[in-house]
Formats: sequence, C-alpha cells, structure tokens
Amino acid sequence: MIDVPAEGQVTVEFTVNGVHHSVETSPRMLLADLLRERLGLTGINLGCEHGYCGACTILVNGESVRSCLMLAASADGAEITTVEGLSRNGELNPLQQSFQEAHGLQCGFCTPGMLLTATELLEGTEGPLEEDQIREAISGNICRCTGYVFIVDAIRRASERRDA
Amino acid sequence: MTITNEPRLVGARVVRVEDPRFLTGKGRYIANHVLPGMRHARFVRSPFAHARITGIDLSGLPEGVAAFTGQDWAEYSIEGTSRYEGFQAAPMPILAVDKVRFVGEPVVMVVADDPYTAEDAAETVLVDYEPLPAVTSVEQALREDAPLIHEDWTSNLFVPRAYQSPGYESEKAAGPLSVQGRFINGRHSGVPLENRAVLAEVRDDEIVVRTATQIPHLVKTAIANAMKVPENTVRVISPDVGGGFGVKAQAYPEEVACALASRALGVPVKWLEDRREHFLASHHARDHVHDASLHFTEEGRITALTATVHTDMGAYSVFPWTATMDTGMAMGILPGPYKFTGYKVEGYPTCTNKVPFGAYRGVARPAACFTIERLVDWMARDRGIDRLEARRMNLVQPEDFPWNSAGGLVYDGGSLVESIDVMKEWIDYDGLVARQAEQRKQGRLVGLGMAIFTEQSAHATEEFSKRGVPIVFGYETATLRLDSTGHLTIAASIHSHGQGLETTLAQFAGEVLGLPLDRVKVVFGDTNQVAYGSGTFASRSAVLAGGAARLAAVDIRRKLEKIAAHLLEASEEDLIFTEEGVSVKGSPQSNVTMAELCRITYQRPDLLPEGVTPTLEASRTYDAPPGQGTFTNALHVGTVEVDPGTGQVTLDNYWVVEDCGVMINPLIVEGQIHGGVAQGIGTAMFEEMIYDEDGQLLTTTFMDYLLPTAKDVPYIGTKHLETPSPSTEGGLKGMGEGGAIAPGAVVAGAVEDALSELGRVWVSQIPLTPERVLRYIHEAKENG
Repeated sequence: MIDVPAEGQVTVEFTVNGVHHSVETSPRMLLADLLRERLGLTGINLGCEHGYCGACTILVNGESVRSCLMLAASADGAEITTVEGLSRNGELNPLQQSFQEAHGLQCGFCTPGMLLTATELLEGTEGPLEEDQIREAISGNICRCTGYVFIVDAIRRASERRDA
Repeated sequence: MTITNEPRLVGARVVRVEDPRFLTGKGRYIANHVLPGMRHARFVRSPFAHARITGIDLSGLPEGVAAFTGQDWAEYSIEGTSRYEGFQAAPMPILAVDKVRFVGEPVVMVVADDPYTAEDAAETVLVDYEPLPAVTSVEQALREDAPLIHEDWTSNLFVPRAYQSPGYESEKAAGPLSVQGRFINGRHSGVPLENRAVLAEVRDDEIVVRTATQIPHLVKTAIANAMKVPENTVRVISPDVGGGFGVKAQAYPEEVACALASRALGVPVKWLEDRREHFLASHHARDHVHDASLHFTEEGRITALTATVHTDMGAYSVFPWTATMDTGMAMGILPGPYKFTGYKVEGYPTCTNKVPFGAYRGVARPAACFTIERLVDWMARDRGIDRLEARRMNLVQPEDFPWNSAGGLVYDGGSLVESIDVMKEWIDYDGLVARQAEQRKQGRLVGLGMAIFTEQSAHATEEFSKRGVPIVFGYETATLRLDSTGHLTIAASIHSHGQGLETTLAQFAGEVLGLPLDRVKVVFGDTNQVAYGSGTFASRSAVLAGGAARLAAVDIRRKLEKIAAHLLEASEEDLIFTEEGVSVKGSPQSNVTMAELCRITYQRPDLLPEGVTPTLEASRTYDAPPGQGTFTNALHVGTVEVDPGTGQVTLDNYWVVEDCGVMINPLIVEGQIHGGVAQGIGTAMFEEMIYDEDGQLLTTTFMDYLLPTAKDVPYIGTKHLETPSPSTEGGLKGMGEGGAIAPGAVVAGAVEDALSELGRVWVSQIPLTPERVLRYIHEAKENG
C-alpha cells in the first residue's frame, strides 16, 4: 500500500468502472499508482512510466490516457474505465473474446492497455476496420511478444463481430 | 509409445487456457503482490563507468529509512565462473565494494515505507568517486596498455577460444575465391515490457523470494550460494512474468539484496525496477563483431569459412551462463546450414565497463546468421548466381542427415532444400525479383533479402557439458498428479511467460490420458511446488518439460490400465481412453468414467487389483537423448523500400517457411514466430544501446531506444513444414527463439539489393538506422 506522507492531502472524487469513489491522497500521487494501490485495480501495468509504452492506458471520460503521466488529483470528477470494467459478470466481452480466439496476447503485460486503446477505436468507428486503421490506432501501444499480427487480427475480428 | 486417442490434442489449434486472467486484468505479476508490513527498496547506482568509491555519506537519509552499502554485504556475491581452463573469474558483488565497473552498478540500497519516499531518500545519499579510465570497446580492452577492469587479472579477456576443423587448410585451398568483411551487430537486449521485480520475505527459517524470472530453481541456487545457506531454506516464486526473452534468465544482485535486506530488517522488501534502471542494469546482449572470410570455387561451391568472433561481455560474468556463452554459441553455429567442412574460428569474450552481457532470444545465432548469410549473398553476387540458388547448392542435402557440421554439431534432420522450393512457389519469387528489378530501373529503391538457418534447440546434457558452464542444463522435470476427481495437475520445472505452455503442456500430456483441456492444470514457478529443473530458455521447454510430462502421463496411464482392466474384467490392451473415460474396445457399454476410476484409486484401495498401490502420481525428468539438441530450420524472405532522402527503410513484406518438427499447437507456433520476427526487426532496424567514450549509456528511455511498433512490423506470413525430430518424445523440436534469428540478415540483404542500382555496397552493420542507410547510399553512389 502506498501511503504517501505529504503536506496538504487532496480529495479526489471520480467514477471508476461505474462505481463512485472519494479518495484522500497526496497531490503528487500518480493516477496509475492510486488506482493500483488504493483501489486494487492491478490490471493497470506500468512498463515505462514515461508515457511511451502504453501498458498503463485507461479511458478517462472515454478517451485513452496514460495513467502513469496523470496525477490522481487531476482526475477529479472524471469517469474512468480500466480493464477490470470491460468484462461483465465474469464473461469476456466480444473484444476480449476476439483477443483469445485470435491469440492476440502472450505474456499479457501490454494486453489491458491494448484492450482499452482498441475499445476507444471501436467506439469511435463503425463497420469492419481496415488493417491500416488498426495499426495506426495501436501504434502507441508497444507489444514485445506478438509482433502485432494477431492483435490486428483480434481487433478486426471484434470490429466484424459488432456489426454481425 | 504411440497414443492413438481421439480426439487428438496434439496438433490442434486450440485457444490458450491462460488467456482469461490476462484479459481481465488479473495477471499475477510481482508488482501486484502485497505482503503485510512490506517496505520498498531503491538502489543508488554508479554514475561512473569505472571509479573507486572513496566515501559514502548516508547522513542525509530521512528518519526511518534504512540503507545498506557494499561493505555491509562484502562477503556475498554471485559467481558466474566457467569450467574452461584459464577463465578469469570475478564475483559479481551484491552492492559495489570499493570500486564500480559500469554505469548503473548498484552501490547503495535504501529501504523506506513507500516507493515515493524511497526514491526521495536515494537522492540524499552522497557517494564520492575517484574516476578511473573507462574501457568502452573490445578494441580498447584488448590493447596491451588497457586499464584492467579486474585488477588481479592478466588482461581484460575472460578466456580465449579457438577451433579448427580437420582438413581446414586443404578445404580452404580448394576454394581459391573468397569474400570477406567485418560484421557488426549492435548492443541491445530483450527489453520485456515488464521490468524486473522482486519481493523478498524472510520469515522463520525460510527466505521466500518472489521474482520475475525465467529460471526459478537456478535463482534459488544462486541465492543459496550467495547467502551461504542450504537450498532448502530458500524458496523462489516466479508467478506471471511480463516477458523475459533471456533478460530474466540470469540471477541478479538485486534479488539477493532484497533477501538480505529483508533478513536484516525483519520485514518484506519489494523492489520494482524502473525503465531507466532496466537499461542501466538489466543485462545487455547481442554485441558481436565478426571478421570472417568465405572461401569458395568458381562454380560457387563453398569450401571453408575463417572467422574471428569478438563479443563485448561487459563488466562481470553472469550466472548461470558465464561470459563464454555468446562466443561459444557463435563459434558452433557460424557455418550455418551449409555443407562445407573447412572451418577455423577464434573467439574473444572480452570484459569492458558496460552492463554485463546475458541471454537474449536466439543467443548469438542472430549474429552468426547475419555473418554467414551476408557472406553467401556476397558470394552469389560475385559469382553471378541467384541468391536462393547459391544457398540451395551449398545446403546440407536431405540425404546427408544426420550431418556432422563443420562447427562440430550434429544436424539431426530437417527440410532445408524443401523450404526453398515451398518459398519460391508461395511468394512467386521469380516474378517478385523481376518486378523489383524493373521498379529499381525506374528509380525506386526496392529490394529483397533472405536468410536460411538451422537452429539447435532443446540442447541438453551433452551440449551444455561441452560448454564449460558451472551448471549443466541437462533436463527438465514434470510431476503429474491425477486427483480423485479425475483432474490432472502438471507441475513443471519450466516457466511460462507468454509461450503458452499452460496450454501446450496440457495438450501434450493430457492427450495420453484422454483428458480434455479443462481437466488439466499446469503449475510452474514455485520451487516448493515443482521439482528441480532449469527453467525456460534455449527453445527447450515444450521438448524437455513436454517430454517429461508425457512420460509421466504414460506411467499414470499404465497404472490406470491395470486398475480399469481389473474393474471392467477386460484385457489392458483392449482399453480405450476418451473424454468420457475408459471403455473396452468392441463393448462400449463396459466402461468407467475417469472420475470414478480415480475415486476408486484414491478412496477404495480395497477394490484395487493385487500389487497395485493407491494414488496416481508420477515424476519424470527428460533430457531428450542424445542431448546435443534437435535442429529446426527456417527460411525468411522480406522486401523493403528505402527512402533515398531520409534513409528510412520500410519493411513491406515478410514471409517465413519453418520446420519445428511436430507442432503441438500451430496457433501458438505462429504467435512465437511473429514475436521473434518482430524482435529481429528491432535488431535489424531500430534497437541499439549506445555508449559514449566515457562509458555513459546514452539510450535510457524509449525515446532513444526504439522498439518496433505496429507501424514498423508488417504482416508476417508463415508456412509450416513438419519433419519430426528423430530423437525427441513425440518428434517435437524447439521453436521459441527461431523467429528472431534471421531478420537482421534479411533486412540487410534487402537494403543492399535496394541500393544495387546506385552502385555496389557491402551492408555489414545493423541496426540499419536511417543514418547508417544514408551512409550506405553515399557509399553505393561513390562505388557506382
């Protein structure tokens, strides 16, 4: 548990995966650390902590955000979605199912960030997606295991599935 | 033994059973482990490549923060000592004592209540250094007057190696023509997305170290040796690991430091490496310079190879591989898949003031493949032969197997020549080459490159015994328990961190018992839970742990056959194992479910046949005899376009024809190939650890050290050939590393081809960054 002793605690109120939270924290606390350590949302993986690798990507008000670069205090009032918010009642959602079917993950460390980036892409588009569109959208998420081939397949499969 | 159950699980393209936990954010990475009272560590690292420590001032530490220095732990170290005669050894300290030998070496460890405070506290530590001249290249290290990195050594060389095949001189003379060059592979590493991570807890008499490692038992051995305690007091747990690629296949000082700090403080101590530390202290790899000449006849028949291998091994020899690993591997495999027999090679693993050098997917084979394949391309150009045909005529031919290679290895089989035929037809090679030649005439810098290789995989006792390593990584172990509900647990000594072994081991062993995947669980990573074995590296886990698991499954099956035959009053040979249970051939109504059979075995010993004991457990080790490795092969072809203005290379297509023997799961095989190729594209085009002349590492973020993105890696096509291994259980061959071996040679060949219209150029250095490509463009124009 990170419990930072610092002057002037701040109170942050936000909704995470549909649940309202009010958390008192240090002004320097990073959003990723707060969500991981205080709310137990350990699906957020930290790969570089300088905003490059994309593993810690979450959705803040529907837009993909590097949670390692955002202070918790600046998320006050936000609506946040993490990977824990994707599946419902223990069932994989269609995007998650597509990743399993297409073998779109190996070690799993980039997977939550990749899923949330793909969620943003799917929510902002209609119809089956082209390979180039998908590659462009995930170009800010590093995967070191898959060579991206099956991740692209998985997202395309999900885009076809939503219109079926 | 032959298992003929239906449905077959081996060969089935089934989805991975481990996926749901990763897809729902429930990966069990070290960072997610929390223990009561846990405190957090931060390391103060050396800012100098080579310096004496003249003082450490801890007076500025905030209250409640603990600190340790090298003096506190001077008696402990990690030893990576080779058995080769004349090897110059140096223990790797836990924290530097008196002297630092690379930028990033841990000097002071601070432990605080939370990681933010630990980071602040580390900033208050003042260390005085007296800088010494830094040794930052192999060339400099081997000069007579070079400063000694380890003062009691006679030079900066770990140990020189040499090998000459019988008949080298006459074979060399038989090939009056030659091409030669200096082949350079930049320093880089596996860079898993999860940094290293450790959580150590010393409780009662047990030292429990949770660490992100590929080799839990070997790390346990290293910690026990370092701390001078019996092995049964150390337990290593490596749960989910966010990528390894070899970086996490060494024992590290930070693992021992966390255990020592936890013992001293009486609380659990956690350390999560940050990305900058990963560049500065996680082991580097790949840094090879080869000087090599290929000797051949007028017809283009290769007769001999002469080579010198230089590797920049950094400041310390690593455990368990030692500093000889890459040089030795390169020396063995440099002749590649070719049939010539004349070979002379020297190897110089050299000590420098850089991060120690460890394993990375492919170990030395990418560099070896680069050298031999570039030479073959140059020979083909010299002789005016098509590059694929030049390869075909020099390959080990189907009738030659088993082939005693010029490098002293036994190639046990494969489909080298067939892979050329399959590739040519698949990609319409002749048409593609003709179209590109046309496009080049119109001014476009397009080109095609290729590389063919054979890869030693699953090498065990015989091979590692030759290599002089302190531990002979001979075998893996699997313990199987079929429980009273008819569910199987496979406890394996390997580790799975992306390779899908939770699925493939279940397929390979579960099939023997007719069990569906949802009744098989694979556990690994906890040394108290699995029997001794080495871990996951060297394309061996499916072959060795799979072999062990399958043999143990057969043991259990034999016992079940006795019991079922007794219960069903049938003969053992007439039993069929299916998902429904065990039935008798010809009379399906005579059957027993697996759950019932298992329940009886555990809970009704009174019903068992005479002489059959209760419980269903079996443990096997497997070393894939004869233990010299089983050889896979692959042919990679890629096409590029080079931007003449910027030197930017775009990789347009990439195709792989590969043969890894019998496939347990083609979906997973393809995933491994894609991932390996993507990392090889990093090797070829992007990734390089760059040091300045003072030994400062200049590439310490993802902005300076580029990883391939989804925009850089093209669609990768794969085609499989399946030549069963003649020696391994089930005919499997290892395939985890292969994808990473060829891309450097492929891209270099393609860029050279793309520049051919401008003039003749010899592309011999990777990564092919835009700056280097511009230099080659300039050179091509000069040469005309």
